[in-house]
Amino acid sequence: MPPWLSDLLWTYQNVLVALGVNGLLALSMYVVLAAGQLSLGQAAFMGLGAYASALLSLRLHWPFWLVLPLSPVVPVGFALLVGGPTLRLSGIYLAIATIGLGEVLRAVYLNVDALGGALGLSGIPEAAPLWLIYLVLAASLFVLWQVGRSRIGRAMEAMRGDARTALAMGVNVRRYRLATLAASAALAGLAGALSAHATDFIGPSDYGFETAVSILSFALLGGVASPFAPVLGAAVLTLLPEALRGFADLRLVLNGLVIVLAVLFLPRGILPWRMRRSAA
Amino acid sequence: MRRRALMASLAALAAAPGRVARAQEAPIPIGLVAVLSGPNAAYGTAIRAGVELALGQVNAGAARLRLIVEDSGGSKDGAINAARKLIGRDRVAAIIGPTLSNEMFAMGPVTNARGIPTIGTSTTAGGITDIGPFIFRTALPEADVIPVTMKKAASRGVKRVALMYANDDAFSKSGFEVMRTAAAGTGFTILTVESFGSRDTDFSAQLTKIKGLAPDAVGISALVEPVAGVLLQARQLGFGRETLFIGGNGSNSPKLGQIAGTAADGLIVGSPWFIGKQDPLNLAFVAAFRARFGRNPDQFAAQAYDTLGILAAAIARAGNADPARIRNALLKTDRVGVMGPFRFTERRDPASTEGVVVLEMQGGAFRIAG
Amino acid sequence: MLAQQLVNGLLLGATYALFALGFTLTFGVLRVINLTYGFYFTAGAFIAWYLTRGGTGLALALPAAAIGSGIIAVILDALLLTRLRRARADELASLMVTLGAVLALYAAMTALLGPDIRRLPQSVLGSGALVLGPVRVTQAQLLILGAVTVLAGGLVWLVRFSRLGLGIRAVAENPDAAGLMGIDAARIAVLVSFLSGALAGAGGVLIGLAFNAIQPYMGEQMMLRGFVVVILGGLGDIFGAMLAGLLLGVVEVLTAAYLASGFKEAVAFALLVLVLWTRPAGLFGRPPPRRA
Repeated sequence: MPPWLSDLLWTYQNVLVALGVNGLLALSMYVVLAAGQLSLGQAAFMGLGAYASALLSLRLHWPFWLVLPLSPVVPVGFALLVGGPTLRLSGIYLAIATIGLGEVLRAVYLNVDALGGALGLSGIPEAAPLWLIYLVLAASLFVLWQVGRSRIGRAMEAMRGDARTALAMGVNVRRYRLATLAASAALAGLAGALSAHATDFIGPSDYGFETAVSILSFALLGGVASPFAPVLGAAVLTLLPEALRGFADLRLVLNGLVIVLAVLFLPRGILPWRMRRSAA
Repeated sequence: MRRRALMASLAALAAAPGRVARAQEAPIPIGLVAVLSGPNAAYGTAIRAGVELALGQVNAGAARLRLIVEDSGGSKDGAINAARKLIGRDRVAAIIGPTLSNEMFAMGPVTNARGIPTIGTSTTAGGITDIGPFIFRTALPEADVIPVTMKKAASRGVKRVALMYANDDAFSKSGFEVMRTAAAGTGFTILTVESFGSRDTDFSAQLTKIKGLAPDAVGISALVEPVAGVLLQARQLGFGRETLFIGGNGSNSPKLGQIAGTAADGLIVGSPWFIGKQDPLNLAFVAAFRARFGRNPDQFAAQAYDTLGILAAAIARAGNADPARIRNALLKTDRVGVMGPFRFTERRDPASTEGVVVLEMQGGAFRIAG
Repeated sequence: MLAQQLVNGLLLGATYALFALGFTLTFGVLRVINLTYGFYFTAGAFIAWYLTRGGTGLALALPAAAIGSGIIAVILDALLLTRLRRARADELASLMVTLGAVLALYAAMTALLGPDIRRLPQSVLGSGALVLGPVRVTQAQLLILGAVTVLAGGLVWLVRFSRLGLGIRAVAENPDAAGLMGIDAARIAVLVSFLSGALAGAGGVLIGLAFNAIQPYMGEQMMLRGFVVVILGGLGDIFGAMLAGLLLGVVEVLTAAYLASGFKEAVAFALLVLVLWTRPAGLFGRPPPRRA
C-alpha cells in the first residue's frame, strides 16, 4: 500500500467504520419500517449487542469469531420481550415502548458497576477490521434483497400499505411483525458488536435517544423501497456532519432540515427505485 | 495494533526530515480539539480563547506555530475524527485537548498509537494518562484537588457528610469516587450517597432524604449546571448555612454564581487557579484576556493558556516538529505560569499541587475561603 | 420526611401533567405525535425570559409567552403537517417530520443563544416558602399546582361542554365526516395547534420558574417523560394525562427516596413498558385501541 493511501485510510478509518456500521443500522431500521412498523429502540438493541459482546471479549476472553455470531442473542431476546405485547396495537405504541427500553437500559448501564457505569467499558480488543464490517454489511444486503423479492417481501409490503388488508389477504401480521422486529434487533446487535470491537471504548451515552433518532433518519432519508436505499441514506448522513464539521452548531440544524425536507418532498426517500419481484 | 504502531513509526521516520527542513520557513502546525458546539460548548469556547490568547503572545516572540482548531461536538466519535483529521491531513506535531475526559478515553488511544503528544487541559478523571506514553495533562486531577478541599471542610468542624453525584458522565462519576475516598481519608462519616442525571432539574427526593439525615456537609460531584440546580433547590427545601456544600472541579466556574446567585453562597471548592491571584503573570493574563474577549477568564481558559505556553516552550526546546522529541521536551518542562510553577510527573500528570486554593462562594462570586 | 417526599412527588408530577396536557390534546384531536411540542415548551420559557428581563411582570409575561408559543405552533404546524395531512400520509411520517424539525430548531436556538442555563429574575416571584409542619412548598410550586388544576379543568370543559368542543370532538372522531357536517376541520386543526402550543408555552414558563433552568434543550428532556405520561393516561385522554402525571411524579420521587436514586428515571419507563404490556389503553382507559 502506498504511504499516501495508508495515511488516507488512517485519517478516515473512523469514518469508514461508521459508514459500515451505520449502513447495518440503517438496514436494521429498514427491516422494521418495511413491515410498516416504527421502532425507536435500534440504539438500545445496538447497545445490547455492544455490551454483551464486549463483556464476552473482556471478561471471558472469547475469540471474536465466536462472539460476533452470538451478539444478536441478547438484543433479540429483549426485542421479543418488549415488542411482543405491543404488536396488536398501532405503530406508535411500539415506538414509545422501544424508547422506554432504551431509557431503562441506560439506567442499568449507569448503575451496575460491572458494566462500568458512566465510564463505560474500555480496552475492548480491536478485533473487527474494516473488511469484516463491510462483509457483514454486504451479506445482510444480499439476504434482505433476496427476502424482499420473495413472498415474504410481498407480505411485508402489503402490511406497510395497510395492515388490515394484509390480514384479510391471509398474511399472519403478528408473526411477521415479531419476526421483522427480531431480525432488526439481530442486525442492530451485530452492528453494536462490530463497532465496539472497532473502537475499543463503549459507554452508555452511545446508545441513547439521539442515536435512535439518527438511525431512523438514515432509513428515512434513503427510503425503504429497497435495502440499498437506507444504506445510501446512512452514507449521506454519516458523511454530511464530517463535511460540515467547520459549521459547528449549524450542522445539527442542517441535519434536522435534511430529515424534514426528505419526508416532505421525498416521501419515498432519495432512492425510490423498487426491486423487481420474482414471479409468484 | 502492533502493525499499526509500526506503520505509524515508519510514517514518522519518513516524514521527519521533511519536517525539519520545513520548520525554518513554514510555521509548525499544532491542533486543538475542543467542544465548540452542543450543550458543553461553554468549556471548549473558554479553552479556545485561552489557547488563542497564548498563541498570539508566543508568535509575537520567537515561535512560529500555526493552530488548527477542530470541534468535537462533545462526542467521542467527533473527537476521534477530529484527531485523525489533524494528524492525517494537517500533520500536526501535537494536540491540545480534547475537552471532556470521556472524549480523551476514546481519542487518546488513537493519538497515542500514532505517537502524537496529546495534552488534556481539562480532563480531570482518573486514569487519563494511563492511556499511554504520549498522553499528558495539565489539568490537576481531582485526586490532587479534592483532598485539599476536604481538609478545609474538616477545619470547619465537618464530621458527617452526604455525597451526591451525576451518574451519567465519566467526569462526575470519577470525581465522586475521588470524593468518597478523600472523605473517608479525612475521617468523615459518609451518611448516604445519592445520584442524579446531568440533565435533571428535580433533585427534591434526594435532597429531602439528605436533609432528614442532617449532615454537616454535602459533597457534590457534577458539572456546573446540575450543581447550580441542586443548590437552588436545596435552599427551597430549607437547607441553610449550617450545612456546608463542597463542590468538585465542575463547580469551579463563575457560571455557578451566574445561575444560582446567592443560593450558591457558602459552597467551597478547590481550584488550581483563581482569578484574583495577585502575581504579575496572572494580573497580565487576566488583563489581556479581558481586553481581547471582553469577559473574565475562567479556570478552563487559564489552564489552556498555560498549556499552550508549555507546549510552545517544549517545541522550542525540541528544535523541530518531531513529535517524539516534543514529547521528551514536554517531560522536561519546568516553567512558571498563571497557575503557578509547573512540571510533569513521570506519569505525565502535573507534579505540583501547591497552586491549589480553596475558594468559597460569596454573593454569587468566588473568594479565597477563610 | 414521607410527607415532604409525597409533596415533592405531587409537585414534580404536576409539572409532568402540565407538560402533557397539550401533547395529549394534539394527539387526541389531530392524531399526530407532534415532537415539535417540546420546542414550544422551550420557546415559551425563552419568551418569558426576555420579557421579564426587560422588566415585564409575570402576570403579563406568562400569557404573552403562551400566545407567542401558540402562534409558533400554528406556523410550524402549517409548514410541516398540512402537506402531510392533505396527502393523507400515515402517522409515522408526521412523527418523523416533526422529529427532524425539532432537532433543527433546538440546534438553531443553541447556535443563536448559546447553551447556557438561564433563569427568570428572582424578583418576578417571591422566594418565600410555605411551611406546614414538616412540609415546605415554594410559591412557584404552588403556582404550578394551581395552573395545572385551572388549565386541565378549563381544557376538559372546553372539549366536553363548549360548542367549539363539539367541533373538536367531531374532528377527533372523523375529520371527513365532520367536514361533511359543515365543520371546518382545517380551522379546528389550527385552533388545536394554537391551544396546545399555548399550553406548552405556559408550562415552559412555570416549570422554568420552579426549577430555575431555562435552556434550549429543556423541551427535549421533558418530551421523554411526556411520552410516558400520555401513554399511562391513555393517548388523547386529558384527565388521564393529569392523573398519570401526578402518579409518575410520586413514583419517581419515592423510588429515589427509598430505593435507589440512580433508577429514578428508569422506573418511569419500566412502568411504561409494564402498562403497555397489561393495559395498553392507559391506566384509566377503555378497552385497548385495536388497530390491526
